[in-house]
Amino acid sequence: MRWHYPLGAAAGLLLLGCGGGQGTVKQAPPPPMPDAKLEVDLPSIPTTLEMSRSEPFERNDPSKRSPLLDIMKAENERQMAVLRTQPEPAYYLAYQLVEQRVVNLEAEGGALVTDSDDTARNLDVEVRVGSPELDNTRNLASDDNGLNGPLTRRGVVPFGEDQQAIANALWLETDRRYREAVTALGYVRQDQQTLKAQQSAPDFAPHGKEVYVEAPAKLEFDKKQWSDRLKRCSAKALRGHATRGTCSVIFQQNTAWFVNSEGSQIQLSWTNAQLAVSVGVKAEDGMSLSRLEQRFGRQPSDLPSDADIDQMIATVTKDLDALHDAPLAEPYVGPAILEGRAAGVFFHEVFGHRIEGHRQKELTSGQTFASYVGRDIAPDWLSVYDDPSITVLNGTQLNGFYRFDDEGVRAQRVPLIDHGKLVGFLMGRNPIKGFPQSNGHGRRSPGLPPVARQGNLVVEATKSVPREDLEKLLIEEIKRQNRPYGMIFTDISGGFTNTSAFAPQAFKVNPVMAYKLYPDGRKELVRGIDISGTPLVALQSIRAASREVETFNGVCGAESGWVPVSASAPSLLIERLEIEKGYIPPDRPPLLNPPAIRKEAP
Amino acid sequence: MNRSRIAIAALLALVPSTLVAAPTREQAKESSKAAAGEQKSPPSKAVTEDILDAIAEEMNRQMTQLEIPGAPRPYHIAYKITEVEVNDVAASLGHTTSKRNRHFVNLEARVRVGNQQLDNSNFAVAQAEEIDATVAINLPLEATPRLAKRAAWLVTDAAYKEALMQLRAKLESRRAGGARAADVPSWTPAKAVVEEEQVLVPELETLDDLEARAKKLSATFRDQPHLRDSRVALTSYLERRWYLNTEGTSATDTRRASGVVLVASGQADDGQPLHQYFLRYGHTAKDLPTDKELEAESRKLIQTIAALAKAPLVGRYSGPVLFEGEGAVGLLRFTLAPHLGGTPVPEGLNPQEAKTFGGALTDKVGLRVLSPNLSIVDDPTAREGGGHALIGGYKTDDEGVAAQRVEVVKNGILKTLLLSRTPSQKGQVSNGHARRTAAGGAFHGSATNLFVIGKGGVPRATLRKKLAAQARADGLDYGLVIRRFDDAAVTSAPEFSRRELVQMIKTTDMQLPPPAVLAYRVYPNGKEELVRGVQLAELPIRAWKDVIGVSRETTTYNFLAAGESQLQLKLTGGTDDGFVPSAGIESAIVTPDLLLKEVDVLSASAGERPAPVVPKPIATK
Repeated sequence: MRWHYPLGAAAGLLLLGCGGGQGTVKQAPPPPMPDAKLEVDLPSIPTTLEMSRSEPFERNDPSKRSPLLDIMKAENERQMAVLRTQPEPAYYLAYQLVEQRVVNLEAEGGALVTDSDDTARNLDVEVRVGSPELDNTRNLASDDNGLNGPLTRRGVVPFGEDQQAIANALWLETDRRYREAVTALGYVRQDQQTLKAQQSAPDFAPHGKEVYVEAPAKLEFDKKQWSDRLKRCSAKALRGHATRGTCSVIFQQNTAWFVNSEGSQIQLSWTNAQLAVSVGVKAEDGMSLSRLEQRFGRQPSDLPSDADIDQMIATVTKDLDALHDAPLAEPYVGPAILEGRAAGVFFHEVFGHRIEGHRQKELTSGQTFASYVGRDIAPDWLSVYDDPSITVLNGTQLNGFYRFDDEGVRAQRVPLIDHGKLVGFLMGRNPIKGFPQSNGHGRRSPGLPPVARQGNLVVEATKSVPREDLEKLLIEEIKRQNRPYGMIFTDISGGFTNTSAFAPQAFKVNPVMAYKLYPDGRKELVRGIDISGTPLVALQSIRAASREVETFNGVCGAESGWVPVSASAPSLLIERLEIEKGYIPPDRPPLLNPPAIRKEAP
Repeated sequence: MNRSRIAIAALLALVPSTLVAAPTREQAKESSKAAAGEQKSPPSKAVTEDILDAIAEEMNRQMTQLEIPGAPRPYHIAYKITEVEVNDVAASLGHTTSKRNRHFVNLEARVRVGNQQLDNSNFAVAQAEEIDATVAINLPLEATPRLAKRAAWLVTDAAYKEALMQLRAKLESRRAGGARAADVPSWTPAKAVVEEEQVLVPELETLDDLEARAKKLSATFRDQPHLRDSRVALTSYLERRWYLNTEGTSATDTRRASGVVLVASGQADDGQPLHQYFLRYGHTAKDLPTDKELEAESRKLIQTIAALAKAPLVGRYSGPVLFEGEGAVGLLRFTLAPHLGGTPVPEGLNPQEAKTFGGALTDKVGLRVLSPNLSIVDDPTAREGGGHALIGGYKTDDEGVAAQRVEVVKNGILKTLLLSRTPSQKGQVSNGHARRTAAGGAFHGSATNLFVIGKGGVPRATLRKKLAAQARADGLDYGLVIRRFDDAAVTSAPEFSRRELVQMIKTTDMQLPPPAVLAYRVYPNGKEELVRGVQLAELPIRAWKDVIGVSRETTTYNFLAAGESQLQLKLTGGTDDGFVPSAGIESAIVTPDLLLKEVDVLSASAGERPAPVVPKPIATK
């Protein structure tokens, strides 16, 4: 077994994605296209959006304040009293303590394969030395391995509320992080002296004091009942062509305490639950095929009933069997429909990641949208915003709900595209030109520095047609463009978007369920393709939206770790999408047939 | 072919399943209590007869049918099934920091293609060491034969394809100039072992029990202004293993161990980070020191950190060194034990990498390698040594060969090495010591319960006088005593920045033993002075020929021999949770103190950093 240095050899391209991978793709020459742009006369009826929101300060209950906040506050003040006066003074110190209980149950083919219930406390200490204009977090002009950044590690803090034990842990981690920050600032200063082009935006946006206390949330579930349900579920999921069939749940109970030197003291507590039904098989040509259906809720009791789970199983196994027999698709450019959830993922990847504020100032970033503020980038009937305060949208609980971000800033609704114009960015406390303040989107998973991330992304249209009419429009468009067929995408597993300036500003998303729609209305499932393109062209190719809105709930991974998100969108008709052949890893299915799984199956 | 398993499987098909169900936990508990008079862990619920039958059936199907036209077929398939259950707790200053139960079952397949004279094994494929004909997968915690069979199907298939790649690369490499003697076979025959009775061991200590103890012990470190950090961790684990292969071997074995570690860190007045630890393992918690003894050890660590803060750096030294107690154990563990394995280093590695697998004694059988006053025996069948529990024992090694007591060195002469089924010389056969895995997928012969027997032992105090006398004879002001080496699996601390880690990776000499954490200058008048920064220079194997004194007292020490180097452990040593190390090969050393005539010592002042700007907080309660 080869040992890899934990620091990594090269940072390479910054790829952002939620479960996607990287592949090599050969480009096929696109066939000639008609020049005229499609004009669709859409009725002025907006998309259907019914939502419940919960503002950050709702459910504030100071009587439920934990003594931990006092211990953290006292140590933070004691530290700052000294660190402020040092030759390299600290100007900001934040403590975030997160206690997380994670219950993971997973069954495969009728048997429990994972059964864990772990609770951990993680401490993150953020020390900033220098000044908000220039501090230790400033990117060096050349630091491919990120050596100047803080070391990723778990800060260990004992459970309980013992002053000595907790304060000692805070002191220790502050000492380590302060020393690290002072060293980093030294390199930053040296780098600045030799740099010709200076960056104008400061490194940190101050924010007022926030004080909020939420009562501790409690995870409630019957373990035995869930184990039995998952076993039944997975026994049913392992059928048809499937060689892998798992059903799993992850239940979490989180409490986060945040204290900073601006006086903020925040106690948040929440639970969440997710259920996944996953099946897999290898196609005859070696391609790994899988189908995953997930459901999210605040509590285990919000997850689907047995009957609904049966429906999920029926969906994944039916899809998988169909995929197993589906032909490979060929490269194509032409009109397509992205159905609600797929459109949500599409927006998350293609637009959402590029609108994260800090990417507009990273030296290595493509800064796609930096110069487009106030300009049209999408049809004038289309708007996009991110609102972490939405709890329920059209009856679905949204996974990207939160009250305060991981930098102690209250969550805010942020308009991003307003009637086709680019108007804003998702901002953490790393300011960019024209956007000096955070809008409460600085997020992370424990151990990593926060950056601007999405929460609940919502795409809405002021003009829309019923979903079935969208398909009619697609057929018209296929005929107009003189294409043999159009494409419909109903499920996208994720993808990645390259925001690095070293490579084309392209995206690639991985559709799982992709259909050819022929002019006569016939549909044919195909596999082995990716959607690729560039974001500005893609946004400007949107021609129509459906009235119905669907939500994709999930977790998204990027440089600040995994965070829960949602993306809601109507189904969209796109005039031109480019389809590439997906990467199929060179492999072959097992030489012998499976050992009589079916014979013994229940 | 394993006929008996097929027969059992066929028979079971006719019997209603209720009649062959495993006994319930309660039933098993009751019956074993009655049998042994002691609370034993019930037999595995995850790996039952049905599971073994299912895997054996799939093994036989694969053995008879697996084939890629034009490519060699497998000639040997082996499975190792491992069930691990671990309870781990860590606490600091009287409060829990981590508490976890882990329970999993792993099925590992090894496939050999070619033939015994020349097969794919023990070859590290360049740029692709993961291609080693070994593929593993997890099995459910509840016995489910059809899933076990399917798992065996998948791993065997994948391992076979890797074996073909590995064989091709190995042949290619040999043609391109590998200097390997062609008459040494790749693999030697061994008698099939059938040992199917499950070994029942005492139950694990519960998480709650471990937690209560860790909290109590860790409170000893409260109110110590000069300590930076401290923790106490306890572990209790068992590992059940099953071996199946196409030669008819069907054997099972169970390991059981408990451990405790005390760790404290501080900082010297000149800024050097300091750490101390105390680590013990036994079969169960009963073999561990009592709370009272552990509290006394904790106080010793606290005092040592305080003393070290003011202690001088050792400075350069070349002369006699007395390795006392755990110091002698550490010397053996880091500089001699790795060389006692007789399995050839994997082909395909560069010489620098190959060194990490030892090999300094491979060609020295029959020659004098140690002082004539020393003999070495490795005995995996021993349960106890020097009056203490030994955790290195086993019945069957990882290649399904019965464990054997082996006299490795007699009166300084190397008699044989610790061998697996991969020989380094013609005619060599396994002596049941296949334990350690390495690049290339083969199991390597490794030390387990290592006994060092010294002739002419003198009382410890006499040996110290001899050290002082030798130092004086060498024209030195003092001699050096080493009482404990660092163990990076325990003390790796998150005190480093990214830049420091990179620096460490670039500059650390992986061949060196870890620094000593307890070392003293001994002056002619018998006065001892604690010193810091003691790092042995590379100790040539011939230094072992000059052991000029041994003590009458012996030290027994259990540890887990990790596959990673000390540097790797330092970087990745699992400090996040701070648990007692539970990865590595259970090992024990029983040895007298050893006085070596000449050892080079470097003075390490690495890692100095300013004292904390903000003093440690003072307890308000």
